[in-house]
Amino acid sequence: MTQVICISSGISSKARRLAESVAEKLGYPRHSREELLEAAIAEGIQVSKLETATIKPHIFNERLGLEREYYRAFITDYLCKRALEGGMVYHGRSAHLLFPGIMHVLKVRVVEDESTQINDVMQQIRVDRTKAQKYLLEVESDRERWVRSLYGVSWQDAAYYDVVLNLGHISPENAAAVLANMAQLPDFQMTPSSKRAMENLMLGSKARVMLARDERTFRANVKVRADSNGITVTYLPQDAGLADVIPEVLEPLEGEREIRATMATTNILWIQEVFDTASEAFHQVVEIATKWNAAVELLQFFSENGEEPEADFEGQEQTLNDGSLQASFSRECIGGIEDEDTQTVCDDKGLRATQETLARLGRSGGGRTIFGTGEQIVKSIDRTVPYSLVVVGNICVSKGHAARLRMVRQLQSYLSGRIKAPIVSAEDLKTQYLFSKRDILRMIGYLGLVALIFVLVFTHQTWVLKFLSGTEWTSKVLAAGVVFLFIPVIAYLYSNVTRSLMKLIRME
Amino acid sequence: MHTVFGDMFISLSLSSALQVSILGFIGGVLSGFIGSGGAFFMTPGMMNLGVPGVVAVGSNITHKFGKAMVGAKKHGELGNVDKRLGIFLILTSFIGIRIAVWINSMLFKSGGGDGHGSGGSAASNLYISMVFIGILTVVAVSMLRDALRSGDGEGDQGPSRKIADFISRLNLPPYFFFPAADVRVSLWILMAVGLATGYLAGTIGVGGFIGVPAMIYVFGVPTAVATGTELYLAMFMGAFGAINYAYLGFVDIRLTILLYMGSLIGIYVGAYGTKVVKEVLIRIVTGTIILLCVLSRGIAVPVYLRQLGWIQMNPGWDGYFNTASKFMLFAAGGTGTLIILYNVIRAYRQRRHIEHRLRKIQEAPASSTVCLEVPKANKIEKAAVN
Repeated sequence: MTQVICISSGISSKARRLAESVAEKLGYPRHSREELLEAAIAEGIQVSKLETATIKPHIFNERLGLEREYYRAFITDYLCKRALEGGMVYHGRSAHLLFPGIMHVLKVRVVEDESTQINDVMQQIRVDRTKAQKYLLEVESDRERWVRSLYGVSWQDAAYYDVVLNLGHISPENAAAVLANMAQLPDFQMTPSSKRAMENLMLGSKARVMLARDERTFRANVKVRADSNGITVTYLPQDAGLADVIPEVLEPLEGEREIRATMATTNILWIQEVFDTASEAFHQVVEIATKWNAAVELLQFFSENGEEPEADFEGQEQTLNDGSLQASFSRECIGGIEDEDTQTVCDDKGLRATQETLARLGRSGGGRTIFGTGEQIVKSIDRTVPYSLVVVGNICVSKGHAARLRMVRQLQSYLSGRIKAPIVSAEDLKTQYLFSKRDILRMIGYLGLVALIFVLVFTHQTWVLKFLSGTEWTSKVLAAGVVFLFIPVIAYLYSNVTRSLMKLIRME
Repeated sequence: MHTVFGDMFISLSLSSALQVSILGFIGGVLSGFIGSGGAFFMTPGMMNLGVPGVVAVGSNITHKFGKAMVGAKKHGELGNVDKRLGIFLILTSFIGIRIAVWINSMLFKSGGGDGHGSGGSAASNLYISMVFIGILTVVAVSMLRDALRSGDGEGDQGPSRKIADFISRLNLPPYFFFPAADVRVSLWILMAVGLATGYLAGTIGVGGFIGVPAMIYVFGVPTAVATGTELYLAMFMGAFGAINYAYLGFVDIRLTILLYMGSLIGIYVGAYGTKVVKEVLIRIVTGTIILLCVLSRGIAVPVYLRQLGWIQMNPGWDGYFNTASKFMLFAAGGTGTLIILYNVIRAYRQRRHIEHRLRKIQEAPASSTVCLEVPKANKIEKAAVN
């Protein structure tokens, strides 16, 4: 059995003891943030400069932004390699975010009461209580900035942890016993599918590190994602010259996976259960992606019971293996363990074919499969990737039309507060982003109203100006009120005319 | 240009209406391209057409109200608006606007008018022009310096950290945390920035030139959030400014709707331009246009000085100065817009070409290799067909 335990904490000597104790009990090596920093510095990454820039109140410059990507990829690759070698315990300040989307990792948050932490600080840096308290606040604030900068989320968000331990109430040794026992649960065992997901994560990180190391590509702002179908590298139009260079740099990995380089300024996330390149939704997504110069990232989503996206059941990210999908719908009764032999192997419901077609069209942003709830989708999303649109297509296809619609709306609603991008259903794509007959009618209607306003204003100029320049206070108040109400109306009407016009010439 | 209701409102012919719409279009293109309001072009442009400065500002801030409302909604959908930060800034920006409106209306009255157009507006025109010249010179020079620094290969040094470092060293409680922007800012700094933004928005209609850089450089807000939050702020400032100026009778709603006619299309074109023009070129074009707008306003200043009796000059020369100022403004804005339009049209045509090629790929038999021409850099991306 192979487990990965990630312990996340602030300043805490007890947390370190806890990590050591868990590692000892399970017989795993313990890795720490200090070790990662040493390795990153040996790699040539300017970690201290990166940290200073992160915590200071100024915007990252381009070079440090790339250095941050390099660092993130490097530590992910470093830790994935060790985790795959046979389990490990890691202790650091953002430990719970190091393996995004890998469900078997046990993510632990350790807290202590403030007075214990202050005492720790007083002993460590030999200062009085007031200074220690101030120091602690600053360190917590810096930690918040660092984690948000690297992963785009707050380290305090409890949704990213499996368990929280208060070491003010339980000794590190007893807490270690709890964790060692907890790690034996089926939910935290590496399964073939979670192993593949981790291998993909490592491969993507390795590819990103290789691009950062190569002098031809180290200045390029690229995003890398690996899945069973290949390694997808998206780059910006200003780096168009890299189209041929990227496959050369990643040549050592070519034996493992196919390399795809996609030029894109942004990303569209398409969540759906069954993909079909002949469908209307596919053509619409491609049309929008072409207009926006976006890469399309496919996320095949299976809601287990097809009832509620937020339903409380075990979720799991899976990737494809040679195009076949491990349809594991019986995880509840096996506690999250997936045994390849017991799974029904079925077709991948169009994921691979769609990815290949998108790659041919130069719009591929990679693809993956997720089982579970909207929460699993949110957790699996890389917050540092810029998404311009999230499309929610058909999910729970086995259900009736009304139920499917309800599920889509619920998922849309769940995601809308959690992802910084417009969330639209595939059915609304045409009305919102593509020109339709309805747009013609709407444009004519709005244009008519705008023309009417223009005619009324310009055929009654004297009256309008007299009204606007009244000297009585009542007429002044009335004029101000009319301006306040009239302007949003004309702006709304005219912006709709313009929007429709731009949609018509496909330039919005 | 004839005026009606004393010196307050200009009489609009088809030609002048068209000129105002063109002003709106050029302002919109520049606005979409720069990511800030186009008031730096539209306000002096209207003044060149004979609109009193205070009416030009009032009409433009009213135009900004509706435009910012549309833009803020879009940015809100993308999660780029920190409403909490916006609300903190709004409170003090209203005070700034009130100060600006008060100064403008007092100067308008003292400049020979009675507040409703029976006299001149030289004092307020001069005041608006001087603030305009002062602020925009700093903005244009900073932009050009940044662009030249990028050209020297120092582009990735990023914005200067001097202000941010200095502010971070000051201990000015109370501090407030803004989660969407992920920054912690002193209330006093917030108030100062809000006041300055409101004052400039109320005086020359370009609050964004202060608000956006302040949020980025002083608060440390991400650029996209700074732009979105500024638009959110501009919506309220625009509404407040519009109500204030309309109450005093300084809003010409005809000009506002004519500006909309051009600006809302222009914004789309300008925003498209940012995707197809290199960052350094964007800065150079923008900086140069703003500098030429400043120069254009500078040319009009002697006219106001003469009207106030501060210098002796033949009144017959007013026309030459105004024409030169107007010509320079339109030449600057027009040339900038043409550069942007050229790039936009070229990219648009190339995109259509790619779309055409993509359709061919989709229809092609599955054993050939097709090359796609990547538009901007003229590079070749291979799309292998299985």
